[in-house]
Amino acid sequence: MSNTNVHLSKKDKNICIEVKNLKKYFLIKKGFFEKKIQCVKAVDDVSFYIKKGETLGLVGESGCGKSTTGRTLIRLYEPTGGEIIFDGVEIGKMPEKEIHPFRKKMQMIFQDPYASLNTRMTVGDIIGEALDIHKIAGGKERIEIIHDLLAKVGLNPDHAIRYPHEFSGGQRQRIGIARALAVKPEFIICDEPISALDVSIQAQVVNMLGDLQKELGLTYLFIAHDLSMVRYISDRVGVMYLGKLVEIADRDEIFKNPAHPYTKALLSAIPIPDPEILKTRQSILLEGDVPSPINPPLGCRFCSRCKYAMKKCSEVEPEMKNLGKGHTAACHLL
Amino acid sequence: MRSERLLEVKNLRTSFFTHVGEVRAIRGVSFYLDKGEAIGIVGESGSGKSVTSMSVMKLLQYPGRIVGGEITFNGKDITNMPEKEMQSIRGNEIAMIFQDPMTSLNPVYTIGNQIMEAIRRHQGLSKRKAREKAIEILKLVGIPSPEKRVDNYPHEFSGGMRQRAMIAMALSCEPNLLIADEPTTALDVTIQAQILELMKNLKEKINTSIILITHDLGVVADVCSRILVMYGGLIMEEGKTEEIFYNPKHPYTMGLLKSIPRLDLGENKRLVPIEGSPPDLLKPPKACPFATRCPYTMKVCEEMMPPYFEAEKNHRSQCWLLHEDAPKIQVDTGVKRGSIS
Repeated sequence: MSNTNVHLSKKDKNICIEVKNLKKYFLIKKGFFEKKIQCVKAVDDVSFYIKKGETLGLVGESGCGKSTTGRTLIRLYEPTGGEIIFDGVEIGKMPEKEIHPFRKKMQMIFQDPYASLNTRMTVGDIIGEALDIHKIAGGKERIEIIHDLLAKVGLNPDHAIRYPHEFSGGQRQRIGIARALAVKPEFIICDEPISALDVSIQAQVVNMLGDLQKELGLTYLFIAHDLSMVRYISDRVGVMYLGKLVEIADRDEIFKNPAHPYTKALLSAIPIPDPEILKTRQSILLEGDVPSPINPPLGCRFCSRCKYAMKKCSEVEPEMKNLGKGHTAACHLL
Repeated sequence: MRSERLLEVKNLRTSFFTHVGEVRAIRGVSFYLDKGEAIGIVGESGSGKSVTSMSVMKLLQYPGRIVGGEITFNGKDITNMPEKEMQSIRGNEIAMIFQDPMTSLNPVYTIGNQIMEAIRRHQGLSKRKAREKAIEILKLVGIPSPEKRVDNYPHEFSGGMRQRAMIAMALSCEPNLLIADEPTTALDVTIQAQILELMKNLKEKINTSIILITHDLGVVADVCSRILVMYGGLIMEEGKTEEIFYNPKHPYTMGLLKSIPRLDLGENKRLVPIEGSPPDLLKPPKACPFATRCPYTMKVCEEMMPPYFEAEKNHRSQCWLLHEDAPKIQVDTGVKRGSIS
């Protein structure tokens, strides 16, 4: 690790990861010479931090850039701009060779347990692959670690010699979690880890993620579109819309006093499993669809669907405003 | 008029004959649907909720086959109806919306063409008339500038608009029965709210009966007046929406209600998952399919299939706990009447 990249964070030693003005643009190329014609601003100027041992929930509709944010954060995508500070070290522009030790500290759990496990490898090899790459253990010790991990996620050590197709969705997701835990990470990105699972299995996996966090002191970035589950698992929640972070606050604060009109609409759109409440509550129906991120509206990106939109909204982009108690939102109304 | 029977399914059994053996996807399902009523079928994947709807539509594909039971639609027995006659019912009197609007629209025909196909087939309208009708119906489902959109291809529509187009197609012949199989699962919450609102409005407007199939209890609570809870190819519990939510009788229903976090409740109680996983229907358990996961399993549960017990009028549950000799259980699912603060 070179010392030139060490960013001495004066503020807080408790911060696990911080991003400043993170940008990720995808260029659309056309023709033989790969002429760059357009660019999709998947993540545009997003800043937030996650404290150690904390869970930040990131919500938003599909295409809003929440998964891209997660993937850029651990350098699965190269950021177009901005800083990523992990444990006080700037890793956003670090060359691949130097980032290797950091990969061990950051892991990811993927959405689709059917696609994220190699069908030709045994469960033991899937989990052990990370141990091999980072040269953590070999021989007997490696097997022991694998067995321990399987037990930790509620599977049987005998399962190590089986193949992924022999497992159900919930069990596969457990294998994915065991794989992420193999290198003893500090920070795990959970990218929609439960949305492919059945309702009765979701609670099992969520409870396990919670237990592991307490036991191992993990920090989570929990990406999901299911707001009720996000409320359950997160300490703080960020809401994204079309590549922008529009609001971020403590969990209770954001659910009780949502400030941004989009957050309000999102919260009111969730079906609550209680017929009486559904009858009485007023839901805010948003008109239309999310605009294309290729040509996002000028000014506030939500202005085309916002019922409070003023003239200013389509001209000037709103900045994040501090509303106190760590609650910030980007809206001209505030 | 209101309580006229539209659909009655009696002891329906459907199996898939695979090379490893007979998978008994539905093992005796009975329910009814009145005109203008909306019912919901809730269950996990593999519980048989989609196979039930496919059986009613008679759209089962090889190796699936209805093995027994009776389906009566509008007074006619359609169980053994020849395919030709069935085709005049399907799309015309019973229509279906599928989960994924991306794969259920034909990418090489315009949206208008696909809607017109159904209208012309069943109503014998001229091309021009059919086109007018297609535009009208696109307007009804809330597609902006339908005169232009009618000539668009599916890829030019967004996910929510595609689902609207699917609904438009399904409603083009004003069917008596609309079967919606997970119509909002592939959509985002704000779009989901739009589609549900649309379905509720259309139900009022053209008095269509709806069978809504979903795994999301919140969605059925919003749209349906009655709910069937399926598990392991059987209906575990059936009752009015309020009864199912506020007074569930089957441990599976209780478990489902307990395992979902509630957005509106402040307290962060630990979620109570249902341990274990659903049964393998290749070798279905001979007794209660939920017995292995049920926290209240008794000896009888593992030996004999429980019959339906009537808890109240129109509220039945297939569980031994409702037997008069069974211990009485009290469960707090967190969903209570009058919990609005």
